Order: sequence, then structure tokens, then C-alpha cells
Amino acid sequence: MGSTRRLALAAVAAGLFAAACTTGGGGGTGAAPAPRDDEQVTVTVWSNFADHELRALNKTLDGFHAKHPNITIRSEGSQDDDKITQSIRGGTAPDVAISFSTDLLGQYCSSGAWQDLRPYLDRDKVDLGQIPQAVRDYTEYRGTRCAMPLLADVYGLYYNKEMFAKAGITSPPRTLSELTEVAKRLTVFNPDGSIQVAGFVPTINFYNHRPQMLAPHWNAQWQKPDGGSAMASDPGWKEMFTWLKELTDFYGKDRLASFTAAAGQQYSADNAFQQGRVAMMLDGEYRTAFIAQQTPNLAYGTAPFPVADSRQELYGGGYTTGTIIGIPRGAKNPGAAWELVKYLTTDTDALVELSNGLRNIPTTKAALDSPKLQADDNFRTFMRIFSSPRLATSPSAPNGASYVKFTEDFASRWLGGEVPNLDEGLAALAKQIDDNAALGGK
Amino acid sequence: MTTLDTPLDASPSRAASRPRAAGPGARSALHWIAVHSLALALTLMFLLPLVFIALTAVMSDQQALTSQLWPREWHWENFAHVFTRSPMLSYFGNSLLYSGLATVGMLLSSVPAAYALARLRWRGRNLAFFAVVAAMLLPPQVVAVPLYLLWAQLGLTGTLWPLVVPYLLGDFFSIFLLRQFFLTIPEDYADAARVDGCSELQVLWRVILPMARPGIAAAALFCFLYTWNDYFGPLLYAGERPESWTLSVALASFRGLHHVEWNLTMAATVLVMLPAVVLFLFAQKSFVKGITFTGVKG
Amino acid sequence: MSSTMTTTVDRAPAPADPGPPVPRRRRRRRLVALGFLAPAVLGFGLFFAYPLVATVFFSFTRSDGLNPPEWVGPRNYVHLVTSDPVAHTAAANTLWLVVVLTVLRVVFALGVASVLARIRRGAGFFRTVFYLPALAPPVAATLAFVFLFNPGTGPVNAGLRAIGIDSPPGWFTDPAWAKPSLTLLMLWCSGELTIIILAALLDVPTELYEAAALDGAGAWSRFRHVTLPSIAPVLLFGVVNSVILALQFFTQAVVGGSVASGGAEMAGHSKNLGWPGNSTLTFPAWLYQQGFRYFNMGYAAAMCTVLFLVSFACTVVLIRRLRSAAGTGEAR
Repeated sequence: MGSTRRLALAAVAAGLFAAACTTGGGGGTGAAPAPRDDEQVTVTVWSNFADHELRALNKTLDGFHAKHPNITIRSEGSQDDDKITQSIRGGTAPDVAISFSTDLLGQYCSSGAWQDLRPYLDRDKVDLGQIPQAVRDYTEYRGTRCAMPLLADVYGLYYNKEMFAKAGITSPPRTLSELTEVAKRLTVFNPDGSIQVAGFVPTINFYNHRPQMLAPHWNAQWQKPDGGSAMASDPGWKEMFTWLKELTDFYGKDRLASFTAAAGQQYSADNAFQQGRVAMMLDGEYRTAFIAQQTPNLAYGTAPFPVADSRQELYGGGYTTGTIIGIPRGAKNPGAAWELVKYLTTDTDALVELSNGLRNIPTTKAALDSPKLQADDNFRTFMRIFSSPRLATSPSAPNGASYVKFTEDFASRWLGGEVPNLDEGLAALAKQIDDNAALGGK
Repeated sequence: MTTLDTPLDASPSRAASRPRAAGPGARSALHWIAVHSLALALTLMFLLPLVFIALTAVMSDQQALTSQLWPREWHWENFAHVFTRSPMLSYFGNSLLYSGLATVGMLLSSVPAAYALARLRWRGRNLAFFAVVAAMLLPPQVVAVPLYLLWAQLGLTGTLWPLVVPYLLGDFFSIFLLRQFFLTIPEDYADAARVDGCSELQVLWRVILPMARPGIAAAALFCFLYTWNDYFGPLLYAGERPESWTLSVALASFRGLHHVEWNLTMAATVLVMLPAVVLFLFAQKSFVKGITFTGVKG
Repeated sequence: MSSTMTTTVDRAPAPADPGPPVPRRRRRRRLVALGFLAPAVLGFGLFFAYPLVATVFFSFTRSDGLNPPEWVGPRNYVHLVTSDPVAHTAAANTLWLVVVLTVLRVVFALGVASVLARIRRGAGFFRTVFYLPALAPPVAATLAFVFLFNPGTGPVNAGLRAIGIDSPPGWFTDPAWAKPSLTLLMLWCSGELTIIILAALLDVPTELYEAAALDGAGAWSRFRHVTLPSIAPVLLFGVVNSVILALQFFTQAVVGGSVASGGAEMAGHSKNLGWPGNSTLTFPAWLYQQGFRYFNMGYAAAMCTVLFLVSFACTVVLIRRLRSAAGTGEAR
């Protein structure tokens, strides 16, 4: 490569990144001071909320403004992850950004696109111990804390009480072999062999039957200590895929495909669990709100999801992830922005109010214990899972959730009978994940 | 009659009766029946999905996306909700501004360019044509990164300018389309005008424009409706300031953490489509001018 | 690509051309052409050349789009060719769409336009009906289709069963039928092309038909020797437009896969990208996912460059071929 060419490329690169680099704003090291009480500032908040959810957020934001009258808040809804990323690239980022998923967190933290909150936490002596470990895990990346949790989702077992009672089953299954047995007993086939009622649908990506939500129940880890994919090395994965395959073969993959194709939309009243067409499913706490609104007469119960027979100590835990909030690079008032982030993620009343409005789990112990938190028995199950030491999450990666996509693809092929050898398949999957990880950020 | 203001001096017979009108008798009656039954069958197929959209628009939130396609209760208030939830009139104004300016800008910049590519003789014309084709081929999603940086540096994100300016500087799709239409006009007419001493601008204005009116109307409509429904551009460039939102961005705002309110989304869809339908009803007259004449003569 | 670059250079400095003196008329013509093209030339530089150069540069870097890129040579291209099976599936899907969608869309639009051209009473009504679907926002249109084509509860399969087809296809939920279903959706909303072809059909000089009729030409012969050559330039637009549409096919594929899988996320929120079994994963969708969701911006730029080069090659060949086949109109 000639030096002239390199020079030319450098010039192009410099031009392209001029914008990104000149818009540091209040970025980087150190904590920006909170505004003085007489200093009038405006903080812009972007989220992907809309309508009543946006109103619930804004109500809590009003509570903040009442406490800090000098900080005016401009809350913009319908701002998705792509929009937030583009604004950071262009130097037009808001002061506070809210993202529904943790998919981009690894990138935000490692690139500095969202600012490191450590200096603020240290300065204000915020006790992170009040937040469960798994939640702390999904809001930081390799020791860089660039986000705080804004309510969490927790996943557990939903089961149809009526079907259980009819079959004489008195308590929800605790192990996966019990789940298999109950699922088989509760399954009803039509005379033509098609599935009328499925006990449990083992199809990956059927509703929330996603690899990351299932994995904790085998204690299957995504990464080796060196950061490489643990697909081939962690025996939990092999157990999980074997279990899914066994149940798939019980139904027959073609019958399952017809059944899931005709199943109702996940978030409509036609949801197969809400319509009594599946007896058990893995889903998040927010389903309780959908059932209450759409099919209030459904007799259902909730419990921690069953665990591998060899790992009974895992019982009581589950998968968690959630909405995250942070301060993007280029924020104009990072000091005031932090005051708002701190309020939304650590103030008990604020968290309880938000939780009641959005029907998600509040992320601090104090808020979980608050008498003001509205919760029925089914919702409380998820609060208990959330407090369990066995609560688990999936790791953040600098290249987003590509490892989940590849795992889902593999699972469909495996369950479809297209992978002759599970061990070789998992090894190839691990390589695919590692290859892709080598492409992007650090 | 709308067609009378069309200068037809250059081609008195172009808009005259269609040959298909000829051939009376039993064969033409059969032909008439065949064509119309085909049209009716197609009509049903074309309308079914739209009926689905309209029916979902008046369902309750719970019923939307269930397998019941007929509303249990008719929630006409969904349309009102669309307006009370968000400042639809302001979004409507922004959509109109974006689509209107883009269409006018496209015509001003692209009609001459298309003419130069179709009918002027100059070296490099073929290469320039391929350049136009190439420009249509870049996937818009990726081009967006460098372009967003450009607009951010100019401090114009959050406004409608990044959406409108590209149309002022020649829309490559429209240039291509217009060029193809200009090519269908026999060159003799332009040559005759040149012999009479017309400049190229006059040839374009007096000969080409009147004759290519159906094509130009189609390109303008195409451009207006594309921008009217454009979601990616307005969200990217104008999305951060609700004052600059267009209707298509507002469509996406009936979306929450765990689900989408499809009934309201569909109600808004119907409302967004209405002005476009009205526009189409008016605009179609100008690119199907021949039909009126056929009706009169045949 | 280099040819397009030369073109800009070729056109821009015309007034100060230092070369040997050209005849006055030729230079004048070029000045007139330049005057007509001036805004477009500026637009070409800003909205095509600049982003294209940037994309090609990024394609040789490891970049997340947030930090300064790091030069890695052709590594992204090597990965694309040798170790990304998903990209290969995506490329095959896009190729499928380019062939099937282009042919069917142009034939269908021409067919509907021909029917429309023959209708006189109620013509406005029929034109409006056939154009209406093109006005529906893509997300809404896709949603409607997925529901109507639901294998269990949709009216389409109910109708098919009623006429005696016992096991109708699974449409959007069957990997073998998902792309044909998307193609049907695109035919349904191909009203824009229909209207453009209709405008061209109605614009064919009547004398030509009269002359052909005098020569005793039948309906097919009139179509083949009068209609087709007259509207050839517009049909060429239709073909190129459809090829580009297929190459950039994104929103409907992403939304269709997501909604058919049971979820209902909006475009871009693609948890079930390519569902079922990556059969609806298009090359641009994977490119977007890599660049914006996985932050492999350099890799996405490489995919983008390849997509651009392939599309450009396809289009140039297509234009050359169709031009020589059509003959008239396109000659210099």
C-alpha cells in the first residue's frame, strides 16, 4: 500500500469523523457537577415509549421537576435505538437516553458512546448493592458501567390451572423431566394427528421461548472466561438442545410447525396460552398485565421455570433483562442528566410509581419491598425470582446480540433435524460466533 | 373539462381515440365482458387487504390482531383518539411541506436534467445516464451514516431540510423515469421547433413538456406519494423534534414497550391514506387525458 | 464504478476545458447540457459520490461507526466470501427475488395496465382501486397480508379449502412459501408501475395503430410491433426499477417475518429476522443488521460495496441488452 494512498485515506477518514470527534460535549472522564439551584437548565430525554407508557414516564419526570424546579425536562418518545446511535454519531445526542434492550450495551460502554457513570456513582456514593447482581451485570460491560437499570423484565413459568386440576396435577413442575412428563400428559391430539392443545411448545422463538431465556435453567453459559463462545465447551447447551429435541420429536416437527403457524399473535388476546391452547409457557412478568386486560377469566398460575434434573439448586432463579438508561456522549448538561438518571433508578417512590405504571419489576430492594407497589400473587412470583441469587442474564457483547441470532438459527436447524451431529454443530456454531465477533468494535 | 387547457398544437392526433375502441359487433361485446369481469375479479383481490386495514381500525385494542376479522364492537372513536393522542394537524402540515417542496424541487431540478439526458446531443451523455442509474443503486440505509454526519455538521438535523434539499438537487429516480418518457416522444417534433429557431429551453417548454405531460404527472405523483409515505428519512432526520414529525413518523408512535396498538395504528393509516387517495383522484386526470377524448369520440 | 467517476469529472469542468478548441456549436451544446444538469451534478456529488467513497473506505476498516476506523485491508471481504453462511443465504434470497419479483412485477403491471387501458366506463374507479394498495404504508400492508394469509385462520386458506384444496400452503410461515408470499404482496402494491405503464400505453400515437390495422395486423401483432416498441423505454424503467426494488428489499421482509412468527415488532425491531428459517432474510436486511445492530460497520460497508457493484453490473447489462432488443427510442 503506497503512502500517498494511505494519506488520502487518512484525509477521508479525518473528514468523516470530524463531526464525531468535535462534539465531545461533556464526555469522558470525571463527573460534571450538578447545576446550582438557581441555574436554569433543560434536560432532553429520549425513549421509545409512546402513549400511556410515555405518560407514565412523564408523570415520574414531573415528580423530578417538582424536586428540582431549575431543571426543565423535555421528553421525546418514539426514539428507537438506531435513532439514538445516529444522534451520537452526529453529535446531536440527547442528555439522557433510554433503550428497551441491552443488545447495544456492550458497544455503548466500550466505545464511550454512553458515558462512564462510575465517577458519578463514586462522587454521590450510590450503593449499587441495592440492585441484584444479574441486573448489575446487564447494565455494565467488562467493568465499565455506562448504564443504569430502569425497571426489569423477569421470566418464569405460566401454567393453566384448569388443565392442571383436570389432570390431577397439584403443583407446577420443578425439574425439566417433570415438565416433559406434564407436557406430554396435557397434550391433546386431534383425530387427524394434529395438535389441539400443546403441553409445552419446544420450538425456539415461539413467543418468548428464546435461547437466552431458556439457558439459565441448565446454567448454560454464553462465554468462556477468555470471552470466546462457550457453545461447544459448556455441557449445559448440549443438555438443553437434547431436551428440546426430545420434546420436539414427541410432537413431530411438522405438527409443531402447523401448530405454531396458526397460533395467535404474541401480544393479542389470541395468544395461545391465553386461549388455552398451550398448557405451559415461559414468559415475562408483563404477561400478567396482558391477561388481566385481555382474558381476565383465565385461571392461571406462575412459578419459577423448571431446572435441569442434575442442577436442582438452580430452582427459583430465572432470566432477567430490562430497559436501560444512560448519558450519551455529547450530552449538553451531563451534570443535570445524572441527577435525573439517579432519581429514576434509585429513588424508591419514583421506581414504584414507574413500576405501577408500566407493569415491570422495580430494580432496587427498597422498591421491591415498598407497600405502595401494586402486586398480585402472580406478579409476586416474578418479584421472588428477581430476588433469587440464581437470577441470571445474558452477556453484553460489543457486536450486539449476534450470538443470539446465530444460536437461534442453529436451534431451528437442529430441531428441524438438519444437524446430524450435535457436538460438531455446536463447535461450528462457536466458531461462527467468534468469527463474527472479530469483525467489529473491541 | 380539464383536458382543454392542454396545448395540443404539436400533436393534434396523439390524444385521439384508442384503437381498442374500434371493431363493433358481437366480438367487441364479448371482449367488453371479458375485460370487465377480469377487472372486477382483480378489484376484489385488491380491496380485500384494504378492507382488513379498515376493519382493524375500528376494533378494540384487544381484538386487533386476533383471528376474528369482523369487529365485535365498532370503535369509531379510534379515529378521534388518533387526533387527541397527538397533534395530527401539525404532522399533516409537515408532511405536506415535505412532499410539496420535494415534488416541486424534483420537477425544477430533474425535468431539465432528464431532457439533457434524453434529447440533447453531447459527449459523455451515455456515461452520465449510467451514472444516474448507479446513483439509484446505493442502499439508502447505509448511505445514511455519512449523510447524517454531514447534516449534523451543518446543524440541520431535527428540521425538514435534509429531506427536501436532495430533491432540489435532482432526484435520480425521477430523472430516470422522465428520461424514459421523453424518449417515447418522436424527435421530429423537437427538430421542427429547432429549425424554427427555438432555443433548447424553448423546445423543452413548448414542445416536450406539453407532450410528456402524462409522464411528468406520473413522476410528480410518484414523488409526492413516496415522500408522503417515507418513514426512514423523516424518523432519521426529523424524528428528534416532534415539531418536525411527519404523519408517517406519527404512525409509529402507537407503539410501546411490549406491544403495538394496532387498532390505532391502522386508524392512523387510514387517515394518512385519505389525502393521498384524494390527490390521486384529481391527479389521474392529467396523465390519462386521452381517456376523456376516447369517451367523447367512441 | 470508475466509469461513473469519470463522468462527473467529464462534465464538471467543461467551461474551462483546456483541451484543443472544439467547434463552437459542440461547446455550446455542452454548456447548455451542463446548465440543464447543474443541480443534478451537485446532488450527484453530495448524495452519491461522497457516501459511496466513504462506504468503500469503511469497507477496508474495522469500524463500529463510533470510533475512528482501523485499517484491516480486505479482511471484511474475505469473511463475507469464506465464513458468513448467513450472508450466503441472504444473497441467495435476494437473487431469488431479483429474478422472480422483477419478471412477475413487470408482466403483472403490464397486464393490469392493459386491462385498465381498455376500460372506459368507470375507468376512474378501477384505476383508483388498482392504485390504492400502493398508497398503503408498507408496515400496514404487510400486516394485512400476513393476517389474510394466516394458514389456520386467514380467509385466503379458508377460501382455498372451500374450493377443495385440502392442504393449502403455509404462506408466510413455511420456508418454501415465504418468498412467494412476499412476491404476492409486492404484486398487490405494484400500482405505481401500473400507472406509469398505463400513462405510456395511453400515449402511443394512434396513427401507428391505424397504420397497423390497415396492414391487417391482429391484436397480438399490434401489441408486438406497435405497443411494445413504443413503450419500450418505460418498460425498461419498469425492469430496472423492479430490479432495484428487489435488490434493496427490506421493510416488508423484516416486518413479514416478524409478524408471521407471532411477534409484532415494528420494522427494524427484528428479533425474528429472516423467520422462518432465514427464508425471508434479504441481503440488505443482513447488511443493516450487521452495521446497525452488531456495530460491524466496516463489514456492513463491505457488504454494501459488493451489493452496489453487483447491482450496477446487473443493471448495465440489462440496459444494454434491452436496448438492443427494443431497438427504437433508445438510439442515440
